[in-house]
Parts: sequence; C-alpha cells; structure tokens
Amino acid sequence: MAVNWEILDIVGGDQALTSMFLFWGLMLLTYFLMQNGLSIFNDVTKSMSLFMLEKALGPGIDLVEGREGSASKTWFIQGMLWLIAASTLAFEGLWLKQDPTALHSLSAWGYDPTASSLLYASNFAALYGGVGMLLVGSSLHIIPRLSGTDLASERNATLVSFLWTLAVVILVIAAHDSVILGLNIFLIGTAMHTLGFVAVAINLLLTVSERKGALPIPGWLIMMGVLADPISVVATVLTGSIQTGTGQWLLAQMVGGTFFFATAAGVALYVSSSASGNPLWSRSLGAATLVGALATVNPLGASNGRMAADMLGVTFEQLQPSSQDGIAMAFLMALAMIPVMALVANLMMTLRGGDAFIENPDSAGIPELNLGASMLLPLAAACLFVQSDALSAAPELSGMSATMLLMAIWLVLVPFSLGAALHLFPTVTGRSLLSRNRARWAYWMMGGGALLGLTVSVMSDLIDMSLIEAAVEDPSALSADVQAVGAILFYGTAVGAIMHSLNAVSGLFRGTMADADRATSSSITMEDYSLVTPTSVRKIIAGGADLDTTVVPVGESDDAGGPTEL
Amino acid sequence: MSEGGSGTVGEFIQGEDEPSSSWVILAFGLVTSLALLVLHGILYPGRDLPVISEILPVFEGVFDSGIWFFILGVMIGVFAIIATMMTEATSE
Repeated sequence: MAVNWEILDIVGGDQALTSMFLFWGLMLLTYFLMQNGLSIFNDVTKSMSLFMLEKALGPGIDLVEGREGSASKTWFIQGMLWLIAASTLAFEGLWLKQDPTALHSLSAWGYDPTASSLLYASNFAALYGGVGMLLVGSSLHIIPRLSGTDLASERNATLVSFLWTLAVVILVIAAHDSVILGLNIFLIGTAMHTLGFVAVAINLLLTVSERKGALPIPGWLIMMGVLADPISVVATVLTGSIQTGTGQWLLAQMVGGTFFFATAAGVALYVSSSASGNPLWSRSLGAATLVGALATVNPLGASNGRMAADMLGVTFEQLQPSSQDGIAMAFLMALAMIPVMALVANLMMTLRGGDAFIENPDSAGIPELNLGASMLLPLAAACLFVQSDALSAAPELSGMSATMLLMAIWLVLVPFSLGAALHLFPTVTGRSLLSRNRARWAYWMMGGGALLGLTVSVMSDLIDMSLIEAAVEDPSALSADVQAVGAILFYGTAVGAIMHSLNAVSGLFRGTMADADRATSSSITMEDYSLVTPTSVRKIIAGGADLDTTVVPVGESDDAGGPTEL
Repeated sequence: MSEGGSGTVGEFIQGEDEPSSSWVILAFGLVTSLALLVLHGILYPGRDLPVISEILPVFEGVFDSGIWFFILGVMIGVFAIIATMMTEATSE
C-alpha cells in the first residue's frame, strides 16, 4: 500500500517528516487549484458535483427543505445535542476513574463501560459530534456570506447532517466495542463520516467557486481547514507512516490543527467581527494564523494516535519517534505558538475594537468566544510541554495527557464553536434564543464546570503521577477524592449543555423574531441622534446613544422663518 | 345544554400569566407530604412505608452509586428538551 516517496524522503527515512512535506505540497496544490480552477474541466466538474449533491440522491433529497439557513440550523441543533451526550460521557468517565464499578449494573444489559472507554467515546462525541457539527453549521452560513453568493446545495447540506450524526453514533459505539458481529464498526463509521465530509467539502467548494470577490482570511481558514483533513489522511497513508506510532500521532495532530483549529479560528474571527461590529483587527495576523495552522504541528490534542489508527482500521502503535522525527516535531509544535498567539491577539483586539467598549459583551456567544480566546494560549503552552514530553524516550507527563485533551476540547474548541453558533443562531433561524439570561447561566455552568472540574482532575492526575514516581504501592484515597470533586464540578458542563440546547430549541419556536430584536443588550439605545450644535462624545453617549447610533447633523440658521416656496 | 347560549363558555381559555400564589399551594403540598412522612415515622417507628418499601428493593444493586443521581439529572434535562420539542411543535 505504501508508496516509496524517495524524492521527498530527504531526511533519511523519517516518515513523519516525509508526510509533512507531502502534506504541504498537496495543500499548495489545493490553494493553486482553488485560485485558478481546473481550466477546461471547470464547468464539467461543477455541474457533475452539483448533480451528485442533489439529483443523484433521487427522492431522498426531497425529504429536507432547501430554505436559506435550514442547513446551518439543522447542524447547530444536532451539534448542541451532541454536546449533551459528550459532556455526560466525559462526566461518567471522570467519575469512573475514582469509582470503577459505579455503572456495573449496566453489565446486565451487556454494557460494561470503563473510565477510558467512556472518555474515549466522549472525545468522539465532542470532537466530531459537538464541535464538528457546530463548525460545519457555522461554515455553511459564513462561506456563502463571505463569497457573496448562496450555498450551492442547502438541501444536501441539511440531509448530510443526519448521515454525519449516524456516523458519530457508530463511532461512539465503536469506542466502547469496536468489533460487533465480527465487523470492525470503526470502519463503517469512518466510511459514513468520510461520505458526509466529502459532501460538505464539495458543497463549500462549489459555493466558493461562485464568489464575487476575493475570499477574506476567515473564509480561507475555514476552507483550508476543511480540505486539509482528508489531505492529511492521504499524505500519511501514501507515505505509509500511518502504520507507525509516529505517523498515527502526526495524523491526529494534523487533523486537530487543521479541521478543528483552523476552521474554528476562521469561524471565531468572522464572528468576533460580526458580533462586535468592528473590522478584523489585523489581516497580517489572520494570514499568520492561516499559514501557521497549516505549516506547523498544533500541540492541542492527544499524546497518541489512537483515534487516527482506529478510524482508519490500522493497528494502534505506541509513539516511538526517531530522534530526527522527534526533534522536527518538537520544533514544529513550538512554531505552532505563532498562529496561536496571532489568533488570540486578533480575536481579543477585534472584539474590543478601537475603544474601551466591547459592543455586546452580554449577548449570547460572546462570553464563550472570550473564554476560548483566553484559554487558548495557556492550554497550547501546557499541551506543548505534555506533547514534547511524549516525544521523548521516557515520557513522564503522559498521566495527565487525557485530561489535557479534555481541557483543549471543552475550554477552547467547544467555546469557539458553540459561541459562534449561538451568535449566528438568530441570523440563521430568523429567531433569537429564548432567553439571554438562560444563555448567560448556561455559559457560567458550562465554562465554570469545565474549567474547575478539569483543573481539579489535573490535580488528581498529578497526585497519581507523584505516587507512581515515588513507587508507593498503597493507592491514595486523596487522589480518588479529588477526582470525585473534579467529576462533580464537571457535571456543570452537562447542565450547561442542556440549558443551551433547551434555550435554542425553545427559541426556534418562541424566540423573538430576529429583525425585531436589537443586537445590543442596552435598554437606552437610540437609532438616530440629531446633532444640532457642536457637542462632546460623552454628552452624546450620556443622551442614550450607543456605538451603533447614527449621528445626523441637522442644518440650522439664524434667518427668520417664512413660508415654504413651492 | 345548548352551546353558545347565554351563560356558557364557548371555548377553553388558558391564562398566560402565572399567579405567584400558585407556588404557595405547591410548596404547601410538598411540606404537607414531608410532614406526613415524619408523622408516619413517629406513629409507626421501625415500620417501612407501604408500597414504596416494596418497590425500592427492586432497584437495589442497580442504582447503588451516587453517579445515578447525576445521570438522572441529565435524563430529566433530555426529557425536558424532547417535551419542549413536542409541545412547541404541536401547540398551534
């Protein structure tokens, strides 16, 4: 299966680096093709793709509606529901770390979960169900807006969301027991997921091909993030590195750094501007985020490639990089701090704008974006340490890598994707969330639960690691007690996810119409302010104006009044 | 009884507002239930509650961990979402 890429193999047989070179080459080719098209094959390819998206599906495509925004709405609602499942699975996994027999009664039904299987399943549910669906939903809204056109096939995108959900259900089941009736159901789930992913990618590509002008940076981040996922798989499979622990780990990091990080970055940058009313603070930093996300190895993620190996049906191998691969990967991970810092700075400054105000600090979605931006840099630095340690011959921090992955998911990726979805919800559905107050409570429950619960879980991990290092035979009750507190605190995340979903579902039916609802939370806003005499900005704001108020200069003269001449 | 005649109500009307005093009734009912449970314990010390004491042993060995209280909370939340979907979709 593996192809001998001797020309690319410039580093003496190190497959990870060879995969990276091939990946970069394929991404450059993708960028070139997106800019220049397929020459004479353009029209044929477009019409064939559109045919495959709609008419080839026969009567199935008529099961869903094709109204504008219906696709994003479907992806949003399913993504939020997946967050409930993911947070519940993660909570149960954290609980079972200190009480392994807590769910033993379920074994009577043939279901015998362990802490690791639950946490593994929760990662699939959160990454591909929650984050993935929310990001795709946002992309299906953002890309047409940035391209100045409509989505190529609204109905296909709506229909594919159900296929995607079914694929995630299978992946979650496979995370518990991958072989059922002699079949490796991971492969079935991956095949269905790939089908859905390709449909979404083609839909977005067709939309971008009809763009009216240059695609802004967030659009490129989303497109390259989506396209880099399958390309990274192709790169590792072609070079054969997928058979090695290093290649599997690299693929997991590449997918994490492109589809999840780059797409989330694009979505977050778009929403930061749209929510604040401020232009994107820096195009250069946006470009640095784009190039950096593709050219470096993002450290956010697991310290092994088990997910990648399982999804592709290859035997999972331990991460044992060659010295040259180890040095190169550590260097590329360190370089990933550049796009991370660029994104955080761009997000923060765009939200803040040129003055001391954040436009709508209280509106749903903005607190989540702030949380994600605040946690990204410290977590990326922490993950860098854990991942660099994992590349060494004798890893010492592997005991906390699973919890670090949970932190990256629940404190960076989920806030970005959920925050964007909550902000775009009124535009997509035509109705606001039912209650802004409930969204605020849900934010505190979700963010607080994840931050406190996982921080306490890391403390428990550190206690365990210390005891193992000290070769203490008697297990400490302190570690289990701390882990129990961590699990209970993390339960707030599940409650927050339920509140968000309830708020969104109720909003679909009873939320105020989007055009009737003002974007700001202030109650003293004015549409227009008539400026009769020169005055200070302070007095205008004190008069009830806000940053959206139009200041209208009114002409005035001291001439005597008279009848209007007709 | 003729429908639409004087003195009859032609259709059902449900108010939109919830009177604050309705919560007093609910709270009173809850307190009364708890008081009766306490009273049962005083009047019949050492004796199990009727009906409930026969049902609970069925679940012994099943819900024997604190995690079930949390899972129950999630289940209530999920059912609340399903109920909201159904009632909102069929309300008009």
